[in-house]
Amino acid sequence: MMRVVHYINQFYAGLGGEEAAGLSPRLLDGPAGPGRLLDQLLGDEHEVVATVVCGDNHAAGTAGVTEELLGMVREAGAELLLTGPAFGSGRYGMACARLAAAGTTAGLPSLAAMHPDNPGIGEAGTAPVIAAGASARKMRASLQRVAPALAKLAAGQALTEQDGRVGRSARLGRLVEHTAAQRAVELVLRRLAGEDADAVTEIPLGGFDSVEPAAPVEKVGAASVALLTEGALVPAGNPDRLESARATRWLRYSVDGLDTLADGDWESVDGGFATTAANADPNRLVPLDAARALQRDGAVGGLHDELLVTVGNGTSVVTARRFGVEWAARLRAAGVQAAILTAT
Amino acid sequence: MPVPQRIVHEVNAVEFGEATRYRQRRLVVGSDEVAAAFADAALAAVRPHLASPAERVRIVKPLDVVEPRSRGPEGGTFPGWLAPINRSRGGQTHVLRGAAVLAAGYLPRNQEGLVDMSGPAADLSPFSRTHNIVVEFDPAEDASWADVDAAVRRGLLRLAVHLADAAVDAEPDAVEDLAQPHRAVDPTGGLPRVGAITNLQTQGAFKDVFVYGRSMAGSLPTLIDPAEVDDGAVVSGQYGHPALRNPTYVHQNHPVVAALRARDGDDLRFAGLVLCPEPVEQAGKELMSEHAAWLCRAAGFDAVIVTKEGAGNADNDLALKVDALEAAGVPAVPLYPELSGPDGTGPPLVAGPRRGSLVSTGNYDQRVSLPAVERALGGPRLDVADVEATAAVEVPVATILGALSPLGAGRFTCRSTPPQEEPVQEGAA
Repeated sequence: MMRVVHYINQFYAGLGGEEAAGLSPRLLDGPAGPGRLLDQLLGDEHEVVATVVCGDNHAAGTAGVTEELLGMVREAGAELLLTGPAFGSGRYGMACARLAAAGTTAGLPSLAAMHPDNPGIGEAGTAPVIAAGASARKMRASLQRVAPALAKLAAGQALTEQDGRVGRSARLGRLVEHTAAQRAVELVLRRLAGEDADAVTEIPLGGFDSVEPAAPVEKVGAASVALLTEGALVPAGNPDRLESARATRWLRYSVDGLDTLADGDWESVDGGFATTAANADPNRLVPLDAARALQRDGAVGGLHDELLVTVGNGTSVVTARRFGVEWAARLRAAGVQAAILTAT
Repeated sequence: MPVPQRIVHEVNAVEFGEATRYRQRRLVVGSDEVAAAFADAALAAVRPHLASPAERVRIVKPLDVVEPRSRGPEGGTFPGWLAPINRSRGGQTHVLRGAAVLAAGYLPRNQEGLVDMSGPAADLSPFSRTHNIVVEFDPAEDASWADVDAAVRRGLLRLAVHLADAAVDAEPDAVEDLAQPHRAVDPTGGLPRVGAITNLQTQGAFKDVFVYGRSMAGSLPTLIDPAEVDDGAVVSGQYGHPALRNPTYVHQNHPVVAALRARDGDDLRFAGLVLCPEPVEQAGKELMSEHAAWLCRAAGFDAVIVTKEGAGNADNDLALKVDALEAAGVPAVPLYPELSGPDGTGPPLVAGPRRGSLVSTGNYDQRVSLPAVERALGGPRLDVADVEATAAVEVPVATILGALSPLGAGRFTCRSTPPQEEPVQEGAA
């Protein structure tokens, strides 16, 4: 019998909803929430000995939190780690994926469960991810898939698609005999011979995200609004050395007390567009001057005092998704209701 | 009109000397003649260097690359720059195959890349396999960057022609006939007519491509004589993502046209080449796509290979064009690089066609570990990685010049590996 430690968020632990999303990590004895059903499904084979809980905002937006959570998992004497199921929830999914990834890297057999389209899935690294439904309505069905996968992992066996394992297959680079142009001619000839487009492609299509717009803000005049940009606007001299392309991180700068972004104080280091006009008037990249006017007129309730910044140029979808989840966690924690994200 | 021909002179070695000459596959470059080719009020000085395959040399901040070509005393190479446009084509172009002239140094908006002449990056760049004359430059005081850029470009073109002039009387290593497009009314013997659309990046200064010496921005898609492109009608001034550039050298050796010519008369007929700008606004992208699809049908293309230059923005041009062509009943095969993250598990495309047969030119984000080198050209630092230019460094494929050749020159690609296998982080190249 192996000792299973289960990671869940504040909601599934019964400690509160969005208002408790800032909850710091805590360790509970035995199973909690969905862990009870999991414990039943595992039968006599394995036992859920402890539950680690963290609020979604804290887990997605705090530096070093993954290490702290893994420390608690270790402290509880884990021989197996399950995180989730996170279903379609982005912040929860990211926390589950990161913790499972850290566990796997540290040699602890770990498993995350979430919907295949969860934006956190890209953070799972080499940890296996088992498919869960899109929402908690699929809790039982999801755990019925997770329990046997966990048993298989305990036995040291590799998990496959037959076990419900998901995650994009890795696209690995290699050199081949013919040039891309020569291969294109081959594909054209196969298409002209009547083969279907989808059958002769080197890159499978599909899987593009569609983002559902949030509901309109009810009382804009009372809402706190944040300014965000992927146009790489940073203090002059780029003191934190934001990349000009292929961002690995995002930064935040205070605009508290500023009425405008003065030229000379700010610059865009984006390598993907001509920055001359943006540097001549940084407000045209991040409209602080106009937002302050709206604030003075009472059209918006308040302006968030931090500008969140990254560079979109050449940044991969996986990384951009992560930034999105982290930004949402930070803004929610600060009580922001709406954001204006400028892109270049 | 005679079939255009390339008169090929192989280059196996380069060295500096007093005067430029070519003999027995050895190119001697006259140092003073390099300076003469680059004489311009916008440049204070130029410094030529050599970098040959297998040497432990790194070129940082590479700009454009040009293959030495000459039409001999009659002239005509680089129409619109060094020669009149729209001359009647045909006749012979001398090519110094295996040599390239390359500028390296700071220009604004140049996204910094590199060329390693040995090591793992050398498998990925077409310019690790050429004997390169690398020209560093100092701008003149008070010269505008636009003038410096133009002066460097003119210098590269002049030097390329000047070097190839030295081989005009030499015995060639090969003579290549260049198949010309079949007209829509020509009988095809039952073979399908396959053409090419080449999108050119057009985003203003330092991100522009020139056709007959003019920016392609604002133009409608046009058919062009591929022999003119062979002679340098398309010249690059585009310094965006290094791996996703099509330097002039690649247009001179247009890989898609070459692949179509190679099969001409066997299992297809080469139908022609369409050049098309990549506008930055959506309405422009839609106009270009619809018009290019109409042009291909009007020219009788049965199928077409579509290429781009640049990153995400240009993926939309490719996607819209493929959608327009497929909707018009013309199968269209686009060439796409992938952006699937360092471990290859992310979504590979930011914008793709609704359906289609795509060719992968490799993953932009894949990491490559480069060993330290003995000397560096183009500058003392690799700023993009914040290290000495000669240092050992790990970089994404994105920084290696031409590594994901959007025009299809490369042999790099990606394949899916099922999720139960461990992703490989590096070294797969």
